[in-house]
Amino acid sequence: MKTAPISQEHESRARVLIADAFAGTPGRLRLFGAVSVTACLVFGAAGFLLVNHLDNSLGQERAHAAQLVRIQTIRTSLVKADANATNAFLVGGLEPADARAAYVDGINSAAATLAEASNADAASASELQAVNKVLANYTGLVESARANNRQGFPIGAAYLRQASKSLRDDALPPLETLVSAERKRVDSSANAVGHAQDGVLLLLVVVVVCLLVTQIWLFRRTHRVINLPVAFATVLVLVTGVIAIGVMGWSRGRDDKAREGPYTQTVALATVRIDAFDAKSSESLTLIARGSGQPFEDRFKSVAADARRALVDVVDPRTRSSFDVYLVRHTAVRAADDGGRYDRAVAMATGNGAANAAFGAFETSSRHALTQQSTELSDALAHARFPLLMLSLLLLAAGVVAAIVARRGIAQRLQEYR
Amino acid sequence: MNAMGRRSTAAVAVLLIVALSACDSAKSALHPAEQAPATTTTPAAPAPDCGNPVASFAPDGPRPAPGQMPSGSFMAKIQQRGRLVAGVSADTLLFGFRNPFSGQLEGFDIDLVRRVAQEIFGDPNRVEYRALTYAQRIPALMDGSVDIVADVMTINCTRWGQISFSSQYFDAGQKVLVRSDSKARGIQDLNGERMCVAKGSTNFDNMKNYPKVIPVPVDDISDCMVLFQQGTADAVTGDDTVLAGFVRQDPYAKIVGPPITSEPYGLGIAKTHPDFVRFVNSVLEDIRADGTWRAWYAKWLKPPGAVPQPPPAKYGRAS
Repeated sequence: MKTAPISQEHESRARVLIADAFAGTPGRLRLFGAVSVTACLVFGAAGFLLVNHLDNSLGQERAHAAQLVRIQTIRTSLVKADANATNAFLVGGLEPADARAAYVDGINSAAATLAEASNADAASASELQAVNKVLANYTGLVESARANNRQGFPIGAAYLRQASKSLRDDALPPLETLVSAERKRVDSSANAVGHAQDGVLLLLVVVVVCLLVTQIWLFRRTHRVINLPVAFATVLVLVTGVIAIGVMGWSRGRDDKAREGPYTQTVALATVRIDAFDAKSSESLTLIARGSGQPFEDRFKSVAADARRALVDVVDPRTRSSFDVYLVRHTAVRAADDGGRYDRAVAMATGNGAANAAFGAFETSSRHALTQQSTELSDALAHARFPLLMLSLLLLAAGVVAAIVARRGIAQRLQEYR
Repeated sequence: MNAMGRRSTAAVAVLLIVALSACDSAKSALHPAEQAPATTTTPAAPAPDCGNPVASFAPDGPRPAPGQMPSGSFMAKIQQRGRLVAGVSADTLLFGFRNPFSGQLEGFDIDLVRRVAQEIFGDPNRVEYRALTYAQRIPALMDGSVDIVADVMTINCTRWGQISFSSQYFDAGQKVLVRSDSKARGIQDLNGERMCVAKGSTNFDNMKNYPKVIPVPVDDISDCMVLFQQGTADAVTGDDTVLAGFVRQDPYAKIVGPPITSEPYGLGIAKTHPDFVRFVNSVLEDIRADGTWRAWYAKWLKPPGAVPQPPPAKYGRAS
């Protein structure tokens, strides 16, 4: 109870002191000094944070793009393994060693990439775990198909059918969901890149206006032509701000270019490859079903049309032409089968047959193109980030130096009132 | 086979005809439901009365020589096309299956189709196979995409309403396959168990007589074996002929119980081609008489005991 009047007294005394401090010309001078110094410090700190944000956004974009490539690799490996398993089955007798090797290779690559993708991103871990389960079940069914096949038991065909079905029904849909989620993440990271640059521009305008207002007030009050330290601070902020906007614009340009070029190519090539392997499996399954394979041929048509659509964005000429060649050869396979020449159709679709060879050529050229484009994408995004750490430190340093210099400039004028 | 043997075969055949027709009429009177399985197209329709289902069209006169099919006949059309289009199974071991070693189709039904091609073209290889699921067999005949179906197909009155059948070439019965350690002695012991069955089969239709057994329907009966081996189905029901093929592929499976039904097999042919039915029946006459049938039976079913006589042909259906 007794302390109340004392604290009130303290409070009012403090208020008086503050009012005194900013009263009159020296007071105003102090106020403008505080505003200028704060503006310079804010410029340094906020500039540092915004450039860091840009750096992080680009880093995230790169990480999401890498994750996207991983998930597409899993999908590709799975459909590739399945295409090889079904094709080996179609040949009859002991499977060709290279088809078996390609199947094992596909499964190993899918398993390794699954582990890598789960480690890289916890958000998609539960979906990837579900895919891993399907993969275990799938390989089990394929091995049963193979064991039955080797004993000459026709139920091997039923196992293979079940295996393909489980892959298509249970493993591919969650991966497709992950792909579209990851593409959205890449896009939103790319949007953040633009926001950071706009932020620095706004910051620069506000800080420079604060410093100019201080300069004008000083000019009017002190009748000096110009306060050199404050002018120096203004120029320092202006120059580093313009450099920052320029460098960020450059980074953004690199990023846009990477998205228009290698990113679009990577997405399109991965899509084409997945659809193409799916189409090849469907071709084999149509022949295995022998005359009642219409649902598989329908699937072929639908995934081949998807591949054609994705191929529009692909620039690699060899990938484009080799896929078209394969489509023509596939038509010949269907014509042979529908014309009652089943054995001829199987010969074309397997081993060194025309359709299988054409598919092999497509596989090789699209694989090379994809590897090249995804490396380019990763390099381009790393390159876009290259100057950003230096830039953020530059802004921080410029802000601090400008604040010190501006304070000195105001202090000189204050001396005159002592 | 010598003349004596042939005559005794004929005598047995005559006896069997009498016995079988008695059996058939008795069965259709006692168990109308068994003879009237609902099909996918007319699920609720009662079975049409088609007289004796296994009676087909009698062959008329001597069969034309291979390569010289009478003009205007369906056989001439097939001959002109250059190949017989046959709907078969590709995964029914013993009857129609793809030999994994050679990639070629083999089995009792395949031999039948090849023999028909032999009689049309003089070349058994002039066949284009279409692997069909059970449910696809009748539609494929009705829309003309196959000339003949040889795929463990049961003759019954409902189906006679949609297609025609050759004379009976095999006598099968629906049974149940269970794990080798199962105590079940027939379908009556499998209440509450999951029973895999192929859609579009008479086996599926018969399941409605056992409402306490949980049906697990699949498109292709060989998928049943996958479900059974994976433990998703406790038992499989199908014709004993088909199940025998499964047991050959899985030593941990066994067939139990007396036949639930009798399943007489015939070759399916479109309703619009009675001339082809008569032609095929004439070929079947030869197959029964010249020992081919018993040779095929021995080759594919490898019975532990004696090879039985082929089911005799029955005719008398007015086209």
